[in-house]
Amino acid sequence: MTLRNTARRWGAPAQILHWLVVALIILQFTLALIADELHGSPKLAMLARHKSFGITILMLAVLRLAWRCLNPTPELPPTLKPYERTLARLTHGLLYALLFAMPLSGWMMSSARGFPVSWFGFWQLPDLVPKNKPLYEALVTTHGVLASVLVAVVVLHVAAALKHHFVLRDDVLRRMLPTSTSGQGTRQ
Amino acid sequence: MNYSQRATLGAAFVLLASGAWGAGAPVHYTADAAKSSLEFSFVQAGAQNKGRFTRFPVVFDFSPDALAASTLEVTVEMNSLDTGDQERDDTLRSDELFAVKKFPQARFSATQITKTAAGYEAVGKLTLRGTTRDLRVPFTFRTATEGGAPVGYMSGKATLKRLDYGVGQGDWKATDQVGNEVGVSFALRLTAAH
Repeated sequence: MTLRNTARRWGAPAQILHWLVVALIILQFTLALIADELHGSPKLAMLARHKSFGITILMLAVLRLAWRCLNPTPELPPTLKPYERTLARLTHGLLYALLFAMPLSGWMMSSARGFPVSWFGFWQLPDLVPKNKPLYEALVTTHGVLASVLVAVVVLHVAAALKHHFVLRDDVLRRMLPTSTSGQGTRQ
Repeated sequence: MNYSQRATLGAAFVLLASGAWGAGAPVHYTADAAKSSLEFSFVQAGAQNKGRFTRFPVVFDFSPDALAASTLEVTVEMNSLDTGDQERDDTLRSDELFAVKKFPQARFSATQITKTAAGYEAVGKLTLRGTTRDLRVPFTFRTATEGGAPVGYMSGKATLKRLDYGVGQGDWKATDQVGNEVGVSFALRLTAAH
């Protein structure tokens, strides 16, 4: 596997970043749902982790976007219809936007509440907005709505990947997987 | 002027001086609530957070020339705590933390005040959540005259461990989310009683 992306495959850094973020997003939903059930100190602990991993995702999102800009993007299969291309671009654009919007809205939410965010206790982040209760409440709603949008877009993204793999039988999914040697000759 | 006249004049001068400047006896100060602050800082989830008390009557009998007779008494109305977050304030007032229903006041009482290189130090006892422990509070003090009246400015900070006083029962005994060390800082404007 090469480091850099090619027109047919994602390189190792792009794949690692993709799957790492997948794992972290699943972890984030898990931590948030657990925290909702807790009170007191354990709740604080769970939310502190949620915030730290959220900031981690934000950092990885910056890396991903930079890496994507510096690398070729593997091309979509030529068999796709124009509306499918548009939908794919829209989905990927939305996913990137959410990778930023989710942590930023969470960070703003903490700032508006007056609870500064710390990255695993090592680094206290600056407040993005001043303490403001109505703003905090609006951001709680925003963060929640964005989470629902993320679930919807991820479902679409996964469904599309599975359709490419099992129905269209192309290499769109495999080229994001390390096990596939190359895209050559796999298209049927 | 003979010896006895001189001695009398000398004694009168000392008396006059002590009467005029308050030397020899402490001045009775109380805090000007509107211009005094008592804050605390703590680590919550890895980040520095702040709170304050809004009601904390202070009685400070003090003179730099009469340290032996100087005393400090601060009574903190625990219900007046304010961290800027209603939910957090209610949590702090609850039984597992400050338990303000059972322990509505905290008190710092010092009868020993000593001069230090940087200013002064009040050595006394802090009673918080029903537990009393020794506490040293370094502070600085200066006087000023405002509108013809003598006032004092006192400020300082101390660090204490909340668990020493049982502030944190159950889950709150853990210090990974809410740190054990709590900074307490104060800046008081003191007015002299007449």
